[in-house]
Amino acid sequence: MTKQGAPAIPAIEVRGLYKKYGQNSVLEDVYLTVKPGEVYALTGPNGAGKTTLIRTMTGLAFPTDGEVRLLGRDVHTDGQRARAYLGAVVEAPAKFYPQFTGTQNLQVHANLSAMAPGGRKISRDRIREVLALLELTRMADRRVEEYSLGQRQRLGVASAMLAEPKVLILDEPTSGLDPLGIGLIHRIVTSLATSGCAVVLSTHHLREIATYAHTVGILTGGRLVDTVDLRARQAAYRFRVDDPVGAAAVLERLPFVRRVSTRTPYAIAHLGGESRVPDALSHLSAEGIRVFEASPDHFDLYEYYRERVEQA
Amino acid sequence: MLTLLSLEYRKLFGARSVRLALLVTFLMPLLWAFAPRLSALIQVNLVSGWQLPAVSIGVTIGYLLPLFIAVTVAEMIGSEVSQGTLAPLLLRPVDRTKVIASKLITALSYPFLLIFSTVLGSLLAGIPLGFGTFTGGTGLGPGLFVGVGQLTSDAAFAEVLRGSFLAGVVLMPIAALSLLFGVLYLNTAAAALATFAALIVMRLLVVLPEAIQRILLTSQLNLYVQQGDIAQPLVLLLIYTAGFGLMSIFAFDRRDV
Repeated sequence: MTKQGAPAIPAIEVRGLYKKYGQNSVLEDVYLTVKPGEVYALTGPNGAGKTTLIRTMTGLAFPTDGEVRLLGRDVHTDGQRARAYLGAVVEAPAKFYPQFTGTQNLQVHANLSAMAPGGRKISRDRIREVLALLELTRMADRRVEEYSLGQRQRLGVASAMLAEPKVLILDEPTSGLDPLGIGLIHRIVTSLATSGCAVVLSTHHLREIATYAHTVGILTGGRLVDTVDLRARQAAYRFRVDDPVGAAAVLERLPFVRRVSTRTPYAIAHLGGESRVPDALSHLSAEGIRVFEASPDHFDLYEYYRERVEQA
Repeated sequence: MLTLLSLEYRKLFGARSVRLALLVTFLMPLLWAFAPRLSALIQVNLVSGWQLPAVSIGVTIGYLLPLFIAVTVAEMIGSEVSQGTLAPLLLRPVDRTKVIASKLITALSYPFLLIFSTVLGSLLAGIPLGFGTFTGGTGLGPGLFVGVGQLTSDAAFAEVLRGSFLAGVVLMPIAALSLLFGVLYLNTAAAALATFAALIVMRLLVVLPEAIQRILLTSQLNLYVQQGDIAQPLVLLLIYTAGFGLMSIFAFDRRDV
């Protein structure tokens, strides 16, 4: 008898979420699932409901209908347990007690995190570690009122990752950051996701997130109108060839090729990974097809988003 | 809970309004030493330093202390909302009830802090009059300032202690009311104004039948000088405090932040 493993609990699960302020509907029937290790980018025009969705997902706002589960626990009825593994920044720039230093603010958050059921104490070393990671060591003992916007934002991310979260929710994490700061946040988010943390972030920087997000949710008018799986889109490669139709026919016969299309002068194939490119090239060459160039067929998220929002 | 309480007290002592209130309540009694018309106004010839706490509490308990309390307690929610620090607090795995309960406990202790500062300043101002046995009353015991004969310093100290404690109890419902308005409005100015307006309206309700007037919060503000059986007004004040406090907790539990 074989034993089948139970399906993994989604890190974040939003089901049938509605939020109304009086007669004004801000969120309508939003469904969303984020798996551990996934980076989910939430985008949409201003006023689309991104911040409301994030505030509802973190338990700061209460839904009119529907539910939000973090690691299987309802964030609105079992908030203390649901937020035990949550790290979040819901405002840009992140807000702290201005009269306390960066270290003191993080100590406050460390003490509060330890209040989780079964929560463990966060050491001073961990506080120093996250401050160093966010390149804030020099500012650690200065009052937050002396911090620049970018430094506050980085302190926010430091605070969010302080308790080694399994779910990280960030509202516009790169807002107010310089290019180096943006790169730093990208590296941290990617590294956390690699270690199994589910990340949800809201952003307007589509080309920037297309490089590291796995999924993009497009929210407009309070509705999640599309969910784009960027991993599936980015597994495509394009081959500039002398005979795109013939090349497509050759590629289609290969067992590891999932989908083939043509866009003259290219034949485009979903190969399942970069390692398959040499195989595909050798088969094309063996069939007498001349290949001038092979490269990833980047999905233009910005163009896709523009079309989707215009249609909605 | 202790973590939250220590955080609340750190914020309380860091607040500008608290520092100002403590400074004013401490320094104002010192004015009595340089106030030639004070005896004429309160129609009492002050003979002992033990009488000054009653003068200071009597002068401030009507408007000044409620104002300081309304502003500071409203700020406990309002400034956190305007600074944006309430949301990060609630994103941590802490029970909302504990968050607001810690604010409530801090708010309820604040009147005692102000009374302590007032009494301390008063006793300092009373040094020139001395603290020995005297004929008369402290203004907080039987016979008020006239007293019932000679009063030893120990007995006078006990009267000041009792009166100060009761003055703190009298102000507790105002703190709880301000916290309730803070939760409802999430804004310091609106909550402080609403608290003060509610107190003024209650004072105007003297036009109502005596039975109703007797249960009004503002009718109990002189409890700290009442003698004999004070159980009924004391219970009433505790009911007001508990009622406003519980309403704050209930309102905060499902409040969008």
